[in-house]
Amino acid sequence: MNSRRNFGLVIGLAPLILGLCVLMGPSGIGLPDIHVQRDILILRLSRVLAGFIIGAALSCSGVVFQAVLRNPLAEPYVLGVSSGAGLGAALAILTGFAGAFTTALPLCAFLMAVVTLAIVYGLSSHSSTPSLYGLILSGVIVSAVCSSLLMFIISATSLEGMHNILWWMLGNLDLPSDPVLGLSAVLVAAGCAGLWLMARELNALTLGHQMAHHLGIRVKAAILAALLLATLLAATAVGVAGLIGFVGLMVPHIMRTLVGSDHRRLIPAAAIGGGAFLAVCDALARTVMPVEIPVGVITALLGGPFFLVLLKHRRTPGWIG
Amino acid sequence: MTNAIQLHQVTAGYRDTPVLQGLSLEIEAGEMIGILGPNGAGKSTLFSVLSGLLRPSSGTVKLNGIEVHRMPPAERARTIAVVPQELDVPVPYTVEEIVMMGRISAIGRFSSPSDEDRLRVERALVYTDATDIRHRPLNELSGGERQRAIVAMVLAQDPRIILMDEATSHLDLNHRLEIMQLVERLNRDDGVTVLMISHDLQIAAEFSRRLILLDHGTVVADGTPSAVLTEDSLRRVYHCDVRVHQDPHSGGISILAAPRLPAPGSGKGIHIHTLGGGGCGEAILRRLTLCGYTLTSGVLNHGDKDAEVAGALGTSTALEKPFCPISREALDEARKLARNAHALVLAPVPFGSGNLANLDLLDEALAAGKPVFIATGFENRDYTRNRDAVARVQALLTRGATLFQDVADLIPLLPTC
Repeated sequence: MNSRRNFGLVIGLAPLILGLCVLMGPSGIGLPDIHVQRDILILRLSRVLAGFIIGAALSCSGVVFQAVLRNPLAEPYVLGVSSGAGLGAALAILTGFAGAFTTALPLCAFLMAVVTLAIVYGLSSHSSTPSLYGLILSGVIVSAVCSSLLMFIISATSLEGMHNILWWMLGNLDLPSDPVLGLSAVLVAAGCAGLWLMARELNALTLGHQMAHHLGIRVKAAILAALLLATLLAATAVGVAGLIGFVGLMVPHIMRTLVGSDHRRLIPAAAIGGGAFLAVCDALARTVMPVEIPVGVITALLGGPFFLVLLKHRRTPGWIG
Repeated sequence: MTNAIQLHQVTAGYRDTPVLQGLSLEIEAGEMIGILGPNGAGKSTLFSVLSGLLRPSSGTVKLNGIEVHRMPPAERARTIAVVPQELDVPVPYTVEEIVMMGRISAIGRFSSPSDEDRLRVERALVYTDATDIRHRPLNELSGGERQRAIVAMVLAQDPRIILMDEATSHLDLNHRLEIMQLVERLNRDDGVTVLMISHDLQIAAEFSRRLILLDHGTVVADGTPSAVLTEDSLRRVYHCDVRVHQDPHSGGISILAAPRLPAPGSGKGIHIHTLGGGGCGEAILRRLTLCGYTLTSGVLNHGDKDAEVAGALGTSTALEKPFCPISREALDEARKLARNAHALVLAPVPFGSGNLANLDLLDEALAAGKPVFIATGFENRDYTRNRDAVARVQALLTRGATLFQDVADLIPLLPTC
């Protein structure tokens, strides 16, 4: 089967790609001399690791939001995580916490993302099972409120603060501190593993709530658990790296065309493929221009055409895939 | 022995509006049953309650002696499965992947499909003639192929009870029969209990040994096809005429929708004046307009449901102010309209002191030798102090007015050109 071969390809190629990423950096292309430039090597390694973790988190969470909300346009930020985290980051930067403690900014962003989601869930689940449209709609509304608060804060702040906030919002992997990186690695690994174990529930949920129920799934619990895990992943990614677009939307679609829609394969493929993809984008963001450019620019520039090529070669009705 | 399905005094519905009302039902294992009834009769709600999607507000639903909402989900999936009318799958799963979903609750979280799981999937694919399409994405397939894949999924699930919710209504004749034969085989050989909702009375009659006719959330008729599918019961439930023929040789039943209500345009050139109010005249206004009659109505109160319908249909109407008793002026206006009519119709309107004056129009019409038609059941709708309305309607009847049941009765009685 094509999809099985592709799955092997994704898993097999990923370490190779990550290895290549380590060779790239603003100080030149090639393996740095271990003895002389040991620090540079460590710097690059942790940067690649950060890219991999964030990419994996965003892609997995995108897969799950698309499956549970049964919507091809769903992505990790669809329920307002991004705006909430943005608000949290802005507050951390403005109050000076971000300057004082290295962990303050990601922590604030993460907490605000979680708070936003709690509000969205609360708004939409007045009946027994949260309605999908209710979730999306309240996500959009809460997101809009957070955005306007954020705009207000930006408009009222100093030039330097404004620059910091905007740079954060563009999304970058500008070396999170070691404890942040370690903690996020644990969270992302746990989240992805949890979702992988929920593969059969996710498969059933894409057939709709009723069919999933008939197939013997605890629908309400499954939806809640899947959305919570996906949110945990998204909030972690936003907290560490700001808003990196495109990965969470497109990598799931790309992986679906490659390895099929069965979540037992799709979840690991999205985690590994998405991680490798973001690591590559970040490597390019560091090297193609004399000045580092936001990685979000690269993800869209690189992923968009790639996605269009896939789309052209495999034209199937329904979802892209 | 415990019944496969046992419903006891089940009341259930959505948001405080009960659809099923005190429904009790017993179905033995191995039965093959057709569930019939008009739209809104409660067929789908019955299925939701049986499959545990909807918890009844009162009463009990037992499958094989166990209350359905107390069953662990996996056990419930082994007990009962549903074939929906269609399944919207937004993700491009292949047919094989879809069929494997039938095994979801049988496969452990930490294990992959066993040989038995694979065997069941294989068998389901063969049974439904879906081996050729096993690697094709579901959303690339035709409606018939897709439905076969879904039936295969339910076969792989291997339940003891199968609910078919208009499962074949999108299929062509050939595939419809094929799926029904497949289900019949499961029923006969494996003793699977089958309940099917169908709007195709013919298929229901042919494949079920027992039919249950629902209306307004209760069982109206329950028995063999020939006992349930009578012209009388169908007419009462579906509000239209049907012809039922039993073939003397094969015993097969054929049902013909009766020659439809008088052809559109049959009422051309005929003026009818209707008296209604509160929405009771809506069906009469609508059906008579569709048949081409020229209608007038009144006196109605402004803002009344019937007045709105009459306005929407372009019917000339004599109107009174909202919530006011009929005035002399309004009555005179209605009288002018009624004078042009060939016949007058009194809808099943409740009577109070405010609208009693409308009966004057009927008196005058009878005096002028025009036919007058009165809806039955007026005795129960009289809210005047001394039951004046009943007395006056009875007087009208003795003077030659005609009673009618509903609008299907009424149309053949009306004058023709």
